[in-house]
Amino acid sequence: MAASVCRVGSTVGRVLAKNRSPILLSLRRGQASVSYAQSLVGAPETRLTALDNGLRVASEETGHATCTVGLWISTGSRYESEKNNGAGFFLEHLAFKGTKKHPQTALEQQVESMGAHLSAYTSREHTAYYMKTLSKDLPKAVELLSEVVQNCSLSEAEIEQQRGVVLRELEEIGGNLQEVCLDLLHATAFQGTPLGHSVLGPSSNARTLTRQDLVDYINSHYKAPRMVLAAAGGVNHDELVDLAKTHFSGVSFEYEGDAVPVLSPCRFTGSEIRMRDDGLPLAHVAIAVEGASAASPDIVPLMVANSIIGSFDLTFGGGKNLSSRLARLAVEEKLCHSFQAFHSSYSDTGLFGIHFVADKHYIEDMMHWSQNAWSVMTGHAERAPKLYVVLSYENGHILHILNYGRRIPLAEWDARIDAVTPRLVRDICSKYIYDKCPAVVAVGPCEQLPDYNRVRSAMYWLRF
Amino acid sequence: MMSLAARSGAFSPYMQATAFAVAGPLKALLPGVVLNGEKIVLNPKKQFLCRESLNGQSPMRGPVVTVSINGPTGVRFAHTDVRVPDFSDYRRPEVLDPNKSSQDSSESRRIFSYLVTGATTVVGVYAAKTVVTQFVSSMSASADVLALSKIEIKLGDIPEGKNMTFKWRGKPLFVRHRTEKEIAAEAEVNISELRDPQHDKDRVLNPSWVIVLGVCTHLGCVPIANAGDFGGYYCPCHGSHYDASGRIRKGPAPLNLEVPFYEFPDEDTVVVG
Repeated sequence: MAASVCRVGSTVGRVLAKNRSPILLSLRRGQASVSYAQSLVGAPETRLTALDNGLRVASEETGHATCTVGLWISTGSRYESEKNNGAGFFLEHLAFKGTKKHPQTALEQQVESMGAHLSAYTSREHTAYYMKTLSKDLPKAVELLSEVVQNCSLSEAEIEQQRGVVLRELEEIGGNLQEVCLDLLHATAFQGTPLGHSVLGPSSNARTLTRQDLVDYINSHYKAPRMVLAAAGGVNHDELVDLAKTHFSGVSFEYEGDAVPVLSPCRFTGSEIRMRDDGLPLAHVAIAVEGASAASPDIVPLMVANSIIGSFDLTFGGGKNLSSRLARLAVEEKLCHSFQAFHSSYSDTGLFGIHFVADKHYIEDMMHWSQNAWSVMTGHAERAPKLYVVLSYENGHILHILNYGRRIPLAEWDARIDAVTPRLVRDICSKYIYDKCPAVVAVGPCEQLPDYNRVRSAMYWLRF
Repeated sequence: MMSLAARSGAFSPYMQATAFAVAGPLKALLPGVVLNGEKIVLNPKKQFLCRESLNGQSPMRGPVVTVSINGPTGVRFAHTDVRVPDFSDYRRPEVLDPNKSSQDSSESRRIFSYLVTGATTVVGVYAAKTVVTQFVSSMSASADVLALSKIEIKLGDIPEGKNMTFKWRGKPLFVRHRTEKEIAAEAEVNISELRDPQHDKDRVLNPSWVIVLGVCTHLGCVPIANAGDFGGYYCPCHGSHYDASGRIRKGPAPLNLEVPFYEFPDEDTVVVG
């Protein structure tokens, strides 16, 4: 009944709209899809339970026919030492090459017969194994995930083969200059600390890591209190908890010799690396200061600041009408091919910076205007587009649980973003940017990049 | 690269053999096979490990037939092999510990740097000023010229009532030892009657000694001492009469005789200038 009324209403509205009468057009407005405010309140609630061994189970039920379920572990390259840097990445390669119960072909066949996607990623502080599948296949998915994580076979033959793959991947990623640039940024900014390690690890480790190293890594870091089993989609929380109890109760929560790995703070060093190669066509440059940790309240103003500076690409069609001042300059003065303001945050520190790709004759200008954008941020700030900040929120929900111990609902994020005033942005930006030593990295034909002392001098204005 | 090896068909075993660079317990190390012919990428005669020769050789720039595992050291395989050197020798003590955040000490480090810079700037500016003034003042009068600018006179040589003339700064200097009578007479003169009113005590430090420049203020002649109607000086050029204090009394001169700066370092000496 209601549906037919709606249908009639919409037909009437469409007819009226066709007549193009402005007053009648306004009748159409009420028929719009759910408003922003409604969607904030209507967001599904996240339910969180902890098992006896410390493993946390989180789920968000949306009633869809598909679901994503995965295991997020608080381990990454930050937990590795110089000797086993790259173990996590290596392990990720071996994860899907067979478990004790299912050899590789059997595993692949199981996954494919469900029509599921099984993938994994390793980052500096988190490792994740997740599967996208149909909601009805949730039990099988959880079982496979538990197999992959707990009972990986780690056969010697596979290890040898994956060595070659890892080395080739290292080679290959050398061509992705953005990754190289940001990896080097971490290496220099956090030099001497575990955060400086690249996720991929040096090639020497790829050649020499043994099965025992990988087993030790699993035993030290794959512990229940550091894991979260999360699912979103058409999942039932209680069912998920039961599955977790069945499959993950065996995950240990004790450390050998009571050696609980404690993350110590990582020192940030203002420094630079220049990898000059005049044979490359474009230069990738990144400049960053120490930013806020993921749990810090300063995160929101910094995200707002980032969305003010924005990003840009040659493919953007906005031209002079782009909202970001730096982007407008990039278009008008042809400063760069692309730039993005980024903020990588970790559990107790972060990197807040700008990365850009420019032709070799425009590096100095682009650097000058980027730092100018920062100075403007510390001097005065405008209202930031909320949308971008909200969109970027979606990626971090699981990490919220790992970092904050709870999932922060969208409504709360909205309130936090609303609470950010231009003055707050200015104060927070001054705190992190003004007169701080940055970390600078340049890859490619970077001769024009000013000397570090000049870049450092541009981090403050003489103003009283 | 894997893709190139797969696409090269018959050559793929060779490509794979050369691209493999790993020694493991299961797989024996294959010796590197270097392809002969036009495809040689590395010129053995060329200086190795310099930027020009490595330009374009690095793995990221496209398919390169890699040499054997015992390749020259220093050619890095991947960007993750870049080692940031340990700069501990150069670090300040507050940032030596890699497990301590550097934010806490950042303000104090900056303050120290800025203070040192500020102090050095101040000292530097002062040093620069000193150097500049030394060079600029070298253009001013030299010591021998300055020495001539002062004259020291022994007063014991001048008896009472007598006027002695000295050459000082190219001009005649009159030093007159006045008698009691002259002193009293000059002190009593009514200032309002004078063309250039000045009391005697304003023109002398010690009343017994009058020290004036012997240049007539009219047109610059030298007055004659102990001449004229007022017991002082008389200028013969146009008839200006000065008194015993050097003040103009009669005649065309407009001002009194100039009194230079002088002082008495002791009873018997006067230093003029």
